[in-house]
Amino acid sequence: MSEQSERTGRIKDVGRAAGALVVGVAAADAFNEFVPEGHRPADLLPGARSVVVAGNLGPTAGAWRCPDHRVMEITGYDFRENVAIHVMSDFIEREYGHQAIQAASLPTAGHQPPMSMMLAAVLAGLGTRSLAANIILHPEYGMLYYAALLTTLALDPDHVLEKDVCPAPPCVQMYRKLGTTPCLASCPKDDGGCLEGEIGPDGRIAYSYYDRERCTSRSQNFGQGGLQKSLLEIVNEEDPDRRRMMIYSDFFTQSLSSACFYKESVAQCFECMRVCPVGRKYKRLS
Amino acid sequence: MTTETKKVRNRRDQTFDPAVAKDELRKEALRGGALACGVADAAAFTAAPEGQRPADLLPGARTVVVVGGGAPRAGDWRSPLHEHQETMGTSDRINSLGLKIAKLIEDRLGFFALFVPPGMNKGNQPFLSVQYAAELAGCGSPSLAGPLLHKQYGMLYYAAIVTTFPFPVDGPSTEQACPAPSCVEMWERERTTPCLRVCPIDSGGCLGGEIAEGGFRNRRYDAARCTTRVYTHWIPGFQKSLEAVLEEKDPERRKMILYGSFFTRTLWAMTYSAQSQAQCYECIRVCPVGTERHDKA
Amino acid sequence: MSGFFFVDPELYRRYKDQVLELSNSVQINVQEHLPREQRRRGLSDREIAKRLGLDERVVREIRVVAERDRYDIEEWQKAIEFKDRACRAYAKDGASYVFEGRRKR
Repeated sequence: MSEQSERTGRIKDVGRAAGALVVGVAAADAFNEFVPEGHRPADLLPGARSVVVAGNLGPTAGAWRCPDHRVMEITGYDFRENVAIHVMSDFIEREYGHQAIQAASLPTAGHQPPMSMMLAAVLAGLGTRSLAANIILHPEYGMLYYAALLTTLALDPDHVLEKDVCPAPPCVQMYRKLGTTPCLASCPKDDGGCLEGEIGPDGRIAYSYYDRERCTSRSQNFGQGGLQKSLLEIVNEEDPDRRRMMIYSDFFTQSLSSACFYKESVAQCFECMRVCPVGRKYKRLS
Repeated sequence: MTTETKKVRNRRDQTFDPAVAKDELRKEALRGGALACGVADAAAFTAAPEGQRPADLLPGARTVVVVGGGAPRAGDWRSPLHEHQETMGTSDRINSLGLKIAKLIEDRLGFFALFVPPGMNKGNQPFLSVQYAAELAGCGSPSLAGPLLHKQYGMLYYAAIVTTFPFPVDGPSTEQACPAPSCVEMWERERTTPCLRVCPIDSGGCLGGEIAEGGFRNRRYDAARCTTRVYTHWIPGFQKSLEAVLEEKDPERRKMILYGSFFTRTLWAMTYSAQSQAQCYECIRVCPVGTERHDKA
Repeated sequence: MSGFFFVDPELYRRYKDQVLELSNSVQINVQEHLPREQRRRGLSDREIAKRLGLDERVVREIRVVAERDRYDIEEWQKAIEFKDRACRAYAKDGASYVFEGRRKR
């Protein structure tokens, strides 16, 4: 085994021991085909050669079963994949003397992050992009949460998955029969939802449509957006009594609460994933 | 003759002894920083309103695991600066532990587990009263001041995990921590207790009540006033300031409000909510329960 | 005159639809497996600025405001109702709830 392969394996072991469920590696320059300048690994870390991606499950299986959607809106996660990234970054700098940083993934201009964790997961062979809001699905676990580190250390990249995870065979069959899939049917564009898509004769995604701004109103219902929307209504309201009702309303109060707890400000709609068959056994504990 | 605990089987056809599983879970909880760990029967939440019972959150729920800990330290209580505990809260650790326990139950035992979020559901209602869960799990008993009191540790912070795993149940404690013997004596002498004296409802405070027959009765609690103290610089304070700013016609006075210390402090508290949410401890500061731990050099 | 940068409303009105359309706001055919000629990615603020002859900072402001402005606050309220319905339906009937009144091709 080459030295590069050996250290790649060690780093992955460190990541898994630190709480990552899955770890993959992508070559930094693999991003160039898919994203514009300014959003590539080397734009964040000059000389970056590798991107290490860690993924983990989010809500517990019990949380998926709750009939009250608000539970998962504010449950929050333990962000173990982020912990794993920090542990691996420290390990790389300490053991190999190369630079390593956590890839900046929070939005910095509107919805735009400096770097896409979804693309990183795809290029690291951890999943493929789905019809459901372009969420990356891992072949075994389905939806995972991802974090990544960038490093100047050369590592063995993993291969992009050859087989698409989405559409899953039951979804292809469903599409042939009904012209839709579970995720598309749960949130259809022409019924005020976010999704539309087609599966081709080869059983692969032939067309996908995702309305991110509508999805934002659902997945970040009580996040920064909900706060901005309601605050604008409040400051524009001239009647002091109506204004007061708005300030103390449940909607505004919940919006403020999300500004207080970052875990409460994102991941507030799971309906397309709830009906997705990929990784279902982990939601059913079967 | 020994009685064997009936084993339970999960969907993956693995079997577990509930008593052994509980013991291992308890060890993990204590290793994770909990001072108390107990189990309540999911069916016992009869005093909770519909919609706030374990099975409303997790259909098929059988037990509720409660972990308690993260209480302020001896030094925290001694600080003369009320802003200290307002801003350096110690409760967040117990929520992390609660989520970890939920994942442990699912990963190791293969039964469903749901960590009860510590935030608010619609209409400022809790998803489930974690305090009630802690009482039913034997982790403490109700107090005149309001917070649940552990006999040994006094006030603790709690996290609750609803699960379909049938852990052996602890049930409510038969020992009442409140009123403490010294509080009974004080009542007999002065018709008040430390917590009632600090925050008397009839003099602009939040608490009222009586000690009688070894317990307390006729408890009065002004939740709205308590909110102004516990959440002074938090969402309610923000809403009040926002209303004041929008009512204010004079732009210079508006600036004074927005840049002023009340609003600034409120913004900091909101940003660091995990540490700065609970902002009044005065009734518990004077509570004698659990104070043996406060005796440090 | 304010001390912090924000976009002129008239400029915003003139360019918001174009900026949003060129951005990642509506994502069509972004899947990596699609052939390069079929794959569409949103443009960066810099790329949009170059195409429209605007300053990058202006494009960023227009895009950020337009993202938020795309739907009225009613959509946020409707989102609560959508999720409540869907989550409860799933709890009751599992994934089959999505096929009630299903559509055929």
